[in-house]
Amino acid sequence: MRNLFNFLIQYSVLILFLILELISIGLIVKNQEYQKSVFLSSSNSTVASMYEMSNSVVEFFKLKASNETLSEENTALKNEIIQLRNRLETIKPISKDSIRFRIPPEMEYKFISAKVINSSTNKLQNYITLNKGIRDGIKVDMGVVSDLGVVGIVKTVSDKFAVVIPILNDKIRINCKFTKSNYSGPLQWTGFNYQFASLNDIARHVKFALGDSLVTSGFTNTFPEGIPVGTIDNFNIKESDPYYSIRVKLAVDFRTLSHVKVIDYKNYREQRYLEQVATEK
Amino acid sequence: MLTVIQNIILFIVLILAQVLVLNNIQFLGFINPYIYILFIISLPVSLPRWFTLILAFAMGILIDVFSNTLGMHAAAAVLIAYARSFIIKLFTSIDEGNNPTPSFHTFGVGAYIKYIFVMVFLHHATLFYLEVFSFAHFWLILFKTLLSSTITILIILGLKSMSRR
Repeated sequence: MRNLFNFLIQYSVLILFLILELISIGLIVKNQEYQKSVFLSSSNSTVASMYEMSNSVVEFFKLKASNETLSEENTALKNEIIQLRNRLETIKPISKDSIRFRIPPEMEYKFISAKVINSSTNKLQNYITLNKGIRDGIKVDMGVVSDLGVVGIVKTVSDKFAVVIPILNDKIRINCKFTKSNYSGPLQWTGFNYQFASLNDIARHVKFALGDSLVTSGFTNTFPEGIPVGTIDNFNIKESDPYYSIRVKLAVDFRTLSHVKVIDYKNYREQRYLEQVATEK
Repeated sequence: MLTVIQNIILFIVLILAQVLVLNNIQFLGFINPYIYILFIISLPVSLPRWFTLILAFAMGILIDVFSNTLGMHAAAAVLIAYARSFIIKLFTSIDEGNNPTPSFHTFGVGAYIKYIFVMVFLHHATLFYLEVFSFAHFWLILFKTLLSSTITILIILGLKSMSRR
């Protein structure tokens, strides 16, 4: 017994060191395996409100750029309104009740606008925190876009905040396709530069050129079809490879990201349920 | 007593500086300096080792909570806190009775730079490999570690050479 105590006293520092390291490693492993807990991460409200404070200062400096994109979008939308109004004018039926306009059910998307209050671009697994949560109708697995293109997918939500996995995270893959040829493949980040990602699984026979644009394929139910993802920056193929390796320049600049929109797909639950039932049987 | 208060202030200032300012600074898009370990580096030499470990763990967890990397900074900080006394013994010869605070003055310029280099490199390497949690991207991570360590070391040396002692 005395020997045991002597041993414990002699190696107490080493034992403490090992215990602390085990706790840390335990925390890391737990967080990699399960959904990152809302508690003790930046969707925790204390931490998040502090970030919101610091962000209110930083945002001031981004106002100019944000304003420019907003006004550009505004003009584009106004132009579209005018065009559509003109077209509507020309096809308007003579008797009023003969045609009813309906929105097709698969188009029922709604946007929830949110502000980025914390983000990183320098890690292998980056995350973005938004200032809206369950209270504003955000749910897990919703898609997130900015005015320029795809940002990522909502991972966890708390009452007032949400954490998004952006494209800049090696855990996420976003299925996208060429606007010209409609061939699709998964886009994944390479882990180094925040401006570029790589597109895999594009077979040899597919024809494309530098500068071709990529959009979401619409096969997953988080993003509607046709949201811009990026443009082709560089590609090569070895003699022995069946697939191209393509470098894609991302449409969104994640370093200056400040305002985003969360996509609320109304029939998400119904579609998901139906797909699950179909695979179970 | 004065050093205790000084260290408490240093603890708070370094955490705020790291979380609010430095986590947003990214040279070339991916080089991120972590200067909060300056606190662990400049603790008095003969502080009880268990206490150093606890302080490092607290610091690491606080940084983790703010940067969404639960456990990673804590693990790296505890590791360098444990290795600290061995590194100090390796590079300097300090008498038993003395209790100096590590600096250019007490360690000597060469020994202090070596001490800081080893501490920072060890911390950054642990941190970046834990972040990936595999050796799949070995060379990429080593490159990132070297670049980030260089920047952190330069900042720490700059800060240290500005202070009087």
